Amino acid sequence: MSARDRWLSRERLQGAGLDAALPYLLLAPSILVTLIVLVYPLWDGIRASTQFYRYGKALRDVGLENYARLWDDPQFLNSLWVTLRFVTASVAIETVLGLALALFCLHEFRGIKLLRTVLIVPMVITPVVVAIVFRLIYASDAGMLTAFSEALGGGPVQILGEPTRAFVGLVALDVWEWTPLMFLIMLAGLQSLPVEPFEAARVDGAGPWRVFIDHTLPMLRPVIAIAIVLRTIDAFGTFDQVFVLTRGGPGEATRLLSVLGYDTAFKFQQTGYAAALFLTMGLIILALALAAVRMLRRAGES
Amino acid sequence: MSARLLRGLVTALILMIVLLPIYWMVAASLKSNLEITQQATLYPHAPSFDNYRRLFSEKQFGDYLTNSLVVTACSVALSLVIGTLAAYAIARFHLRFNLERTVGLSLLTLRIVPPVVILIPVYLLMLQLRLLDTWLGLIITYTALNITFCVWMMESFFREIPTDLEEAAMVDGDSRFTAFRRITLPLAAPGLAATAIFAVIVTFNEFLFALVLTATPRAMTMPRGTATLIGRIDTDWASMAAAGVIGALPIVIFALLVQRHLVRGLTLGAVK
Repeated sequence: MSARDRWLSRERLQGAGLDAALPYLLLAPSILVTLIVLVYPLWDGIRASTQFYRYGKALRDVGLENYARLWDDPQFLNSLWVTLRFVTASVAIETVLGLALALFCLHEFRGIKLLRTVLIVPMVITPVVVAIVFRLIYASDAGMLTAFSEALGGGPVQILGEPTRAFVGLVALDVWEWTPLMFLIMLAGLQSLPVEPFEAARVDGAGPWRVFIDHTLPMLRPVIAIAIVLRTIDAFGTFDQVFVLTRGGPGEATRLLSVLGYDTAFKFQQTGYAAALFLTMGLIILALALAAVRMLRRAGES
Repeated sequence: MSARLLRGLVTALILMIVLLPIYWMVAASLKSNLEITQQATLYPHAPSFDNYRRLFSEKQFGDYLTNSLVVTACSVALSLVIGTLAAYAIARFHLRFNLERTVGLSLLTLRIVPPVVILIPVYLLMLQLRLLDTWLGLIITYTALNITFCVWMMESFFREIPTDLEEAAMVDGDSRFTAFRRITLPLAAPGLAATAIFAVIVTFNEFLFALVLTATPRAMTMPRGTATLIGRIDTDWASMAAAGVIGALPIVIFALLVQRHLVRGLTLGAVK
């Protein structure tokens, strides 16, 4: 159907008289709700980010000073660094594991239904509960690691009290929770690929590794890229799991940007500074997303 | 080693990695604190439901569950109805100044904005409206957060349904509404299901806004209540484990029941 035809058919559907007001009435509730609860707060947040607050009260207009202060603030820079390391490590591991798992599950075999059902569980469980699961694993007095270590004759295992181990522990949590999503996306992508190139390659005598490098990977690239973009955006905003698992500690070892922003706003009541922090975080995420989309488009053209 | 054996081993390994942590939480929820910290048993030697009983009798978990169910049901239903209407208008009408496209694009843009950006102002808004710590405050917030997603999903489903069918029904004397109800809505039902399921999971699990917008068992949702419990009693591992099981159970059961639609909804957006 051409654009003109579609337009004509819409015009016909639209009819006359009473019907003319209908589309506006259908759109109105959505517009109203989003204006009040999303657009107005967005504007209000931008306004708040240019104010100096003390104890939750706006005292004076400071322009862009809050934004400038961020880049001299060692706490912000530390949290940004922790967040970048967390996102890179988690997403990289999840991508490789998810792809490997999808390749493994591509051919039907007994037990695959069970496997797919079980893999849904980590990603639908409430993130707060995922954090509880991992606290019960890591706890040095009551944790699963300690229990197994003692059963094998070892001593208690310390995870959350030590900076590097706590960070690795957080990444492990994210990998446990989100590898299944990567797996599902990659599997759907693999199943949508045409069969012929693979058969041709096999007839030509290519081994499984060559087939993977020469055919699977290039054809799957768009799906992999989208999966990485989605997961990166999501991981950048991680809050619940850290809040319950480590509360950002020990020290500042796992204090992601979201946790720093929350503390700044609701513990230290520096509303304006926190608003600037959250907006900066939002802009970084947007920039990452846009850059990724552009990279994707260029990869698609070449 | 045969390929079949290897496959079996890998499957078993994956199942263990996923299930062992969950087993550990369930096992801990049936133990006493003494057994957990002193004896470090690998399974509950004297299983009891005391931890669960305490959650409901002393820790208001009944309230949290009610709050979560009410807030999730209301906000998902509201955003589905409101969002579906808008999606239908965007997919089917051509308005003056391309208004329908502008609205569609604006909603999509709002969808990309990470919710943390509006965390503080939404808190200030609810403070002004005196809606902090109420069902209504949470319902309004979650409805708005879900609408952008619902419109975007439903619009793409409506576009897949040819207009000819509706037109034919209207030529046969149906009103637009009857045509929508009899023809278009049933055809869009799978899409509606996928959208609803996704919205239910996201809303039930939401924590950040619940943390900021609620403060007492009057409105605290399940994740919020669970996190509060943990904050207060750092070493009551048994209660923590039971709270985790109760907090996870409703949504895991729901997800397993609707598994087929769920996988479709989760992967659809990425592959398309």
